Amino acid sequence: MSGREGVAGAAPDDPRGPGAPLSAGMSLTCGGVSFSYEEARAAIPALRDVSFELRAGGSLALMGASGSGKSTLLQVIRGLDEPESGAVLLDAAGPVGIGHAVLQREVGLVFQAPELQLFASTARDDVAFGPRRLGWPEAQVTAAVDTALDVVGLPPAHFAERHPYALSGGEQRRLALAGVLAMRPRLLLLDEPFVSLDPGTRRQLVGILERLKAAGVTLLLATHDVDLAWALCDELLVLGGGRVVAAGSWDFSTAGRRLLAANRLREPFFVELWRRLGRDPQRAPRTAAEAAEALS
Amino acid sequence: MSSSPDETAPLFDISGLHYRYAGAQADALADLDLEVYEGEFVAVVGANGSGKSTLARLLGGLEKPAAARRALACGHDLLVEGGRTAARRDVGVLFQNPENQLVAQCVEDDVAFGLENLAWPAADIGRRVDEMLARFGLEELRRREPHMLSGGQKQRTALAGVIAVPRRVLVLDEPTAMLDPAGRDEVLTAVRELGGEGLAIVYITQEMDETVGADRVVALERGTEAYAGNAGGLFADAALVRRLGLGLPAAGELALALAERGRDLPGLPLTMDELLDALGGAT
Repeated sequence: MSGREGVAGAAPDDPRGPGAPLSAGMSLTCGGVSFSYEEARAAIPALRDVSFELRAGGSLALMGASGSGKSTLLQVIRGLDEPESGAVLLDAAGPVGIGHAVLQREVGLVFQAPELQLFASTARDDVAFGPRRLGWPEAQVTAAVDTALDVVGLPPAHFAERHPYALSGGEQRRLALAGVLAMRPRLLLLDEPFVSLDPGTRRQLVGILERLKAAGVTLLLATHDVDLAWALCDELLVLGGGRVVAAGSWDFSTAGRRLLAANRLREPFFVELWRRLGRDPQRAPRTAAEAAEALS
Repeated sequence: MSSSPDETAPLFDISGLHYRYAGAQADALADLDLEVYEGEFVAVVGANGSGKSTLARLLGGLEKPAAARRALACGHDLLVEGGRTAARRDVGVLFQNPENQLVAQCVEDDVAFGLENLAWPAADIGRRVDEMLARFGLEELRRREPHMLSGGQKQRTALAGVIAVPRRVLVLDEPTAMLDPAGRDEVLTAVRELGGEGLAIVYITQEMDETVGADRVVALERGTEAYAGNAGGLFADAALVRRLGLGLPAAGELALALAERGRDLPGLPLTMDELLDALGGAT
């Protein structure tokens, strides 16, 4: 535990320091997690007895109708909200004590429309905010910021000194992501990261997430976009009314499709194509390139 | 200042429109032309920062154009304050971020807000609000505080409030962005129905498949028109699509990927059915 403290705290000898791969993944287990929002009249249950596992380096699509509890679950995992009951286990370590707080610092959460929270007067200072709060030495902060800007396709030589508001919407979204990546998360939680991005920027973000996945970062991606969820994630978790209604492998059997429809989802485009071509939908391609390879 | 009774006049009649944000180095909109007629469904696409949301604000009378040869919305002159005030009444605008649109203490009050401003009788407001809540599946949330809603619920609430007020023209800025697939289909159906009722709709989107079937697609690039025509014409120009930061609907992306591997499909399919036809024909 004290070793982890060093990693996420001052971190001068962080083995994942500048130049090192971005991260090695963290495992996640939610056991019986419940949470309610307090409104004037009554508590509104948002999560009810949510249990699932995500292995280190895995990728999980978190799906479900609007209001099913996706954003709430991400905030509870990040530790911004305390579960009323149940526990969030990181790296299979216990939920209490200083070790858990330290582990939570290695969980990065990218909010919906994170660019609305950009506030510094340069891109560099915005990305540096998190690492500085962790008390990293300035040289290490600089290196972490440069790496993060590179990873999101905003080369520091060109972008670091620009005002965040002078960037395009797509650049702002990537800058906000860099602010989370600079802290070298081992588990990355993303809340609807593709919303309002143009298709070109979406392609860039998919590429960034594919690289993070390849580097071993654990991904939990809340999205309504079934096609991108299928392209990026090995498994899925469907919430309905705050409860887990499906968890694990993608299932495109008749029952699986019915479950998706009941939760206001649909099967991915290439899965439908494979089914309608009389091929096995479970073996459907994830991308246009894979589909073309199989069909040409 | 009343709107023109002329049935054939465009509802938006814009020529040479310029707009620049305070302190910006370049125009957000530059020499833009746009005509939209009754019953037309015009999709507007473009990269982030190309001027789409700025255009929505100008069309709704919420910003003053820097200059224009002509800038009429429902017959109101957007170059003068009185015209913009009248346009704000006649043009329904759904903003990209529903947070900016929700003002009341609960969902049903929010949907009623525009009608109350028009001083509708309370009973009529009640009926209209019920109709809108049902249309967008919000009945159970009617007493919920807007800040307690999910992103998709906020978006449906904001859209219900905009559509509640009877108008001749709507400007919708990414109305499906936050919605689950079923909600997206519901909103698209509702929007198409409104088009069928004769409303003109300017529909801003990043979802390329939503442009298929539009009467016209306008693509913006750095605030000016880079393409205007049908969706098929835009997507057939792969180099232009890439330059504009856009993409193709999934069917079209697959057709391009197949062409790169030496298998050319007949035509450019843009929907699942067109793709299946093309694959059948080419096998």
